[in-house]
Amino acid sequence: MAEISFPLPDLGEGLIEATVLEWLVAEGEQVERNHPLVEVETTKSAVELPSPQAGKVLRIFGTPGDTIKVGDPLIVFEVPDDTAGIVGTVPKEEAPKRRVRLNAVLDED
Amino acid sequence: MPLELAVQAELPELNRDQLRQLYRLMVAVRHLDESAIRWQRQGLIPGYAPELGQEAAQVGSGFALDMARDFVFPTYREMGVARTVGVDMVQYMSTHKAVWHGGLYDPAASRFAPIQAVVAGSVLHAVGWAHAQTLDGKPAGERGVAISYFGDGASSQGDVHEAMNFAAVLKAPVVFFIQNNGWAISVPTERQVAGGSVAARAAGYGMPSVQVDGNDVAAVVQATAAALAHARAGHGPAVVEAMTYRRGPHSTSDDPGRYRTLDQERLGAGEDPVARLRTRLLEAGLADEAFFAEAKASAEREAEQVRTGLQALGSRPGAEMFEFVYQEPTEALKAQAASWREESEHV
Amino acid sequence: MSETLEAPVMQEAGEGPAVETLSMQQALNRALAEVLAENPRAVVLGEDVGRLGGVFRITDGLQARFGEQRVFDTPLAESGILGMSVGLAMAGYHPIPEVQFDGFAYPAINQIVCQVGRMNYRSRGTLPMPITLRVPSFGGIRAPEHHGESLESLFAHVPGLKVVSPSDPNQAYHLLKHAATRPDPVVFMEPKSRYWQKGEVDLDAAAHGFRPGGSRVAREGRHVTLVAWGAMVARCLQVSELAAEDGIDVEVLDLRWLKPIDAEGLAASVAKTRRAVVVHEAPLTAGLGAEVAALVTERCFGTLRAPVERVTGFDVPYPSGDLEDEYIPNIDRILFGIQRVLEYRRG
Repeated sequence: MAEISFPLPDLGEGLIEATVLEWLVAEGEQVERNHPLVEVETTKSAVELPSPQAGKVLRIFGTPGDTIKVGDPLIVFEVPDDTAGIVGTVPKEEAPKRRVRLNAVLDED
Repeated sequence: MPLELAVQAELPELNRDQLRQLYRLMVAVRHLDESAIRWQRQGLIPGYAPELGQEAAQVGSGFALDMARDFVFPTYREMGVARTVGVDMVQYMSTHKAVWHGGLYDPAASRFAPIQAVVAGSVLHAVGWAHAQTLDGKPAGERGVAISYFGDGASSQGDVHEAMNFAAVLKAPVVFFIQNNGWAISVPTERQVAGGSVAARAAGYGMPSVQVDGNDVAAVVQATAAALAHARAGHGPAVVEAMTYRRGPHSTSDDPGRYRTLDQERLGAGEDPVARLRTRLLEAGLADEAFFAEAKASAEREAEQVRTGLQALGSRPGAEMFEFVYQEPTEALKAQAASWREESEHV
Repeated sequence: MSETLEAPVMQEAGEGPAVETLSMQQALNRALAEVLAENPRAVVLGEDVGRLGGVFRITDGLQARFGEQRVFDTPLAESGILGMSVGLAMAGYHPIPEVQFDGFAYPAINQIVCQVGRMNYRSRGTLPMPITLRVPSFGGIRAPEHHGESLESLFAHVPGLKVVSPSDPNQAYHLLKHAATRPDPVVFMEPKSRYWQKGEVDLDAAAHGFRPGGSRVAREGRHVTLVAWGAMVARCLQVSELAAEDGIDVEVLDLRWLKPIDAEGLAASVAKTRRAVVVHEAPLTAGLGAEVAALVTERCFGTLRAPVERVTGFDVPYPSGDLEDEYIPNIDRILFGIQRVLEYRRG
């Protein structure tokens, strides 16, 4: 598993911080790219930040009312490092199953 | 300078019923597409290639076809075209359920070639099919036209050059319909298509071309209809390049977060083609909220039916691996099938 | 030439761990990074190998580390990738092209056969072709069409090419580092179904007697030799455990190099066990199993207790995901093959 950190982006010209209004995801939740993550308020407006990343929410920073500086961590995702390629699935490692038994008289010589 | 289509077909504006029909199709396609992504997340299908954002290009071009005469050569991302021309959606989706490569629908009867997984794999096939219309000696104006779908990525393949050159030399009735959706997996069009336009190449082959706003369904219908009329009338091939945007990932296993930002997506995607038609219908007074609600409900019912059908769709018997290799199977292959039955078939 | 990997030995304290647990994907990525770091004329090219890091992430992070000159995305055209690699090699570079999936090596076959394999010969040795062609290969991941092919016999048939396939992370790491420093073209077939399995990689294997050439005995046994490569090695090791329950002692020979094939290693193993079963995913007819059977027969005819058995894919197009377990040699079919060589009696 790999971790990808998403810092608070600059939400408007020259803004240096934002206040968390409401988290829309919880730690442990699996999110898709573009899924709404959090509502934050800047001096200009309240905005909903969409997820830049598909993955599992590992950690979130700040509770409602907290101020977060642009560039400081907002959320950390966990992404599997064994994701399948662009197509297909990751094969499951299964215990071998058999139907056939061997029977042989070995003439050791 | 792009060459003009020889037949500037005096196409009438799309009427109320046609625009409403286009809207219903686009909503159905959008809903199926989003449903298919969910089905993959739920484990019903192992993978899917979304076409989110390309509904206008796909529905519009499919809508312009005359399926009594024409023939479609799709890629693996043409669900919207398939739905528009009436391909059974459970049988279409069977390829994404890993039941049968190419899908289970009858391509000859559907006039929709098997789903093609090779990028640019079927572009030359369209030229061959189209030339057969010429060989058949059908009078101009009555010929079937082959429509070849491919993307900006595929336009890099040498086969596309060969196809365009053959078609132009032979004056084959083909429409090369390019959906330039901005991305070939992680590579943007500016790193893919030198000069920025596939349509611009047509002039070099002496072929007319149209570059159209691929998110404007009415414009796509008109451009495709004009190109089809040109080819049908015996003037040879034409190129339509629909400029659109792959709003989703390349496939359900792709992670666009690795190669483009959400801001880039917002800028590149432009206006949502479905929302755009909705606004147009509303502003022109051609539809009301009740119509939109009904279109949505109908799309939901359809997606549910397709889901039910896909769930019920079982694996094909293993014997079919051997059955369709030849029309006249070899003895050696029959022997392999027999040994497979003996050693592998789980009863 | 055959060799058994000695048990990994830890280096002395202070030099860092000599053994790390890596997936094959990580092992390959690490090997490429080291090759790029050690050879300033090594370049990685292909579709989505740059910013995305490859569709299987084998080139992950390499562009960021080595720059867009050394690791670059090409337009979507396999023939172009290979043809351009030939030119780069002529100019003194060591290209490491990636063909994204086995089935997309077909569009490049013209360049691979007519140019990569022949330029050294044509130029009387003045234009060597140090090209390491990476091809994610074989089946087992329920992928779409053309993403599960086994092309080793095509590659092995081409004069001028060498062909190798690793079976585990340790082999992958060392064989890729070796292949990417050779002066001749090597087709490097990565078993994509094994990318995520982890294993111990002995980073200082050279000091521990690792030999990059020839085959390797993956498991010693007395009664029958299973010959395999790529993903089939792991399956044969499973089979050997099951056979042991029945009192049959199976030797598993990981062939590794499919050209040149280690005839001496094969002969040494079969001289001991006197029975051989070759296992591969590719279709039976003209598959590499036939070459193995011929080599064993030439060298061990007198001591063989039974004709060489071939347990392989069938002479059918690689099937859709639902049927791939029916196609790829399964445990029972391999056991049947073993049973046949065990019970064979000269007539």
